[in-house]
Amino acid sequence: MFELLAAGLVNVVQIKYLVPLFLGTLAGVVGGALPGVTITMTIIVVLPFTFGLDPLQGLAAMTGVYVGGSAGGLVTAVLLGIPGTPSAIATTFDGHPMARKGEPGRAIWTGIWASLFGGLLGGVFLIGTTGPLAAFALRFGPWEFFSLFVLALSMVAGLVGSSLLRGLLSGMLGLIVTVLGNDPIFGTPRLTLGISWLEGGVPFLPVLIGVFAFAQIMSDVERMGGAAGLGEAVDRGASMAVSHARVVWDILSRPFLLLWSSVIGVIIGVLPAIGGSAANMMAYDQAKKFSRRPEKFGSGIPEGIIASESANNANVGGSLVTIMAFGIPGDAVTAVMLGALTIHGIQSGPLFISQHPQLAYGIFAAYLLAHPLMVLILGVSTRWMLRIVTVPKAALFPVVLVLCVIGAYALGNAMASVYVLLAFGVLGYAMVKYDFPLAPFILGVILGDQIEINLVRAIMTDSDPWLFVTRPISGALLALSVVSIVAALWQHRRHRRRHGAAEEGADF
Amino acid sequence: MVGRDGIAALVILVASGVLFALTFGLHANPLVPIGPAFYPRIVLGVTAALAVLLLVVDVVAQRRHPAARPEPAAEPLNYRLVLVAFVVFGLYVAALPHLGFRIATLAFVVAFQAVLDPPRTARHWIVVLAIAAATTVVTYFVFERYLSVLLPRGPWTDF
Repeated sequence: MFELLAAGLVNVVQIKYLVPLFLGTLAGVVGGALPGVTITMTIIVVLPFTFGLDPLQGLAAMTGVYVGGSAGGLVTAVLLGIPGTPSAIATTFDGHPMARKGEPGRAIWTGIWASLFGGLLGGVFLIGTTGPLAAFALRFGPWEFFSLFVLALSMVAGLVGSSLLRGLLSGMLGLIVTVLGNDPIFGTPRLTLGISWLEGGVPFLPVLIGVFAFAQIMSDVERMGGAAGLGEAVDRGASMAVSHARVVWDILSRPFLLLWSSVIGVIIGVLPAIGGSAANMMAYDQAKKFSRRPEKFGSGIPEGIIASESANNANVGGSLVTIMAFGIPGDAVTAVMLGALTIHGIQSGPLFISQHPQLAYGIFAAYLLAHPLMVLILGVSTRWMLRIVTVPKAALFPVVLVLCVIGAYALGNAMASVYVLLAFGVLGYAMVKYDFPLAPFILGVILGDQIEINLVRAIMTDSDPWLFVTRPISGALLALSVVSIVAALWQHRRHRRRHGAAEEGADF
Repeated sequence: MVGRDGIAALVILVASGVLFALTFGLHANPLVPIGPAFYPRIVLGVTAALAVLLLVVDVVAQRRHPAARPEPAAEPLNYRLVLVAFVVFGLYVAALPHLGFRIATLAFVVAFQAVLDPPRTARHWIVVLAIAAATTVVTYFVFERYLSVLLPRGPWTDF
């Protein structure tokens, strides 16, 4: 493992990989800093730029976006009190008060260094566990894969959104998309609805781009026309000077806080569809519970920033584990990365590491190198970010949509994918308005073919349906699915009793 | 009386029903025990069942709280602007294969900016046009010339 990682590092420091990694990290930092532009949107915009690159260049760029975006949100969270991304919400609680007390530099750099340490801890988990998990998954038969995908869907449906029923229906709608057009077992047209270009099936990348881009953009368009303040900004003349030694000591002298927050980030990252926003909030909550001075949280103490920022960057490592070991995306960002792998003809899943070790360890190396690049970019550009975030949305949105169209069109040089983009853009917006979470839908679209293939393979191997339950791993996974649905029901009921009809937004 | 969930459930139920009916036109290979309709029928059947459940839950909720309405948004939402934005984007998609990427994109970026934030001064119009031109030129050169990602060319303009 260490030899492969060293080889990966030597490979990625070449200019041809370092440049896309740097540009991706820069794009991630800028996208993460811009309120209203999520990491998902940023990676969707970067995706078409990777089509002309080789797989490792493209994935290095995307890994850079992910790492940079997870940290970029702290800039506006600290300086404006507005999180650049949902994964920096908890950073505002102590970052902005600390900045307003006259220590903006300390607040920013506490966040940056905490992101670095948390991200590297996430990297240890990523590199150490992906191989063994993939090796374990190689023992899976079609029963186990079917049950694993069902578990992923049921967890997502239950944990995201305000209604279990709507979550499950959203997942089923995603599965319906995959039965249209094409039978993945026999390769014959099926349910094409009389549309000739549907015979190859519905390509999932334009669906993903359409659903997320339009849901985000149109939800912002709804609110346009009002006076949109940027919050109380910290005085631009305030000094950003800081003692790095003091900031690093602030973090390393709280090893339990750093470690526990990173572990929370990693665990949340591994769970499908739950991402940085849950990680930073949960880590903040835990830090407050374990603190000797919980009453100080919210007044501008470093513990709040350390918890939030280390968790949201460690979350990236966790998310990458599930996609690299199992081929299941941990969130929308890794779903887009999965699409990039597919475009380059690479099948993700348990065989990925063994069949493409250079690419896999290249991704690990890119993940590690993205962190010092992130520190460098944030350190140099923090003051300039305040200008960037004032870019008007009326100018930004059409540019984003043009890049989405290019991303969809370039998949097959056919307008069909662009029509899919538009159709699912409308559907995605409708789903948001009717409070159907998008995460289960997308996971259904991504996993649908694999669920069908494994179900049919299992039955054609042995027609006894009880094998799904009696085979130990498969049975355990299905039991966990049931537990996750029951837990979700209990959680939703408890939330309703406390808050009435208050809604919880999806992570994306 | 149905609420928002009930309407969504009915739409999903009807769509599932139509698709389920279409599966009867799928022909199975007699040599293979499982045909192309096997899995879709499971998915569509489960979807329909969940939709019925959602409809029932919604109807029961409406009967318990017949006057319940969603809380009004803190700020009024501009659905008309959303509709216009979708129409503009739809026109862009329709125009792309005919006008080609460069002309359609230039027109789209101008139109979309004008819809979201109508320019009121000559200077603002210049900024709008400059952003549209820059977007078109940069994306064309980066994607088609540098990354060799072919972009649509329009038969009406061959451009």
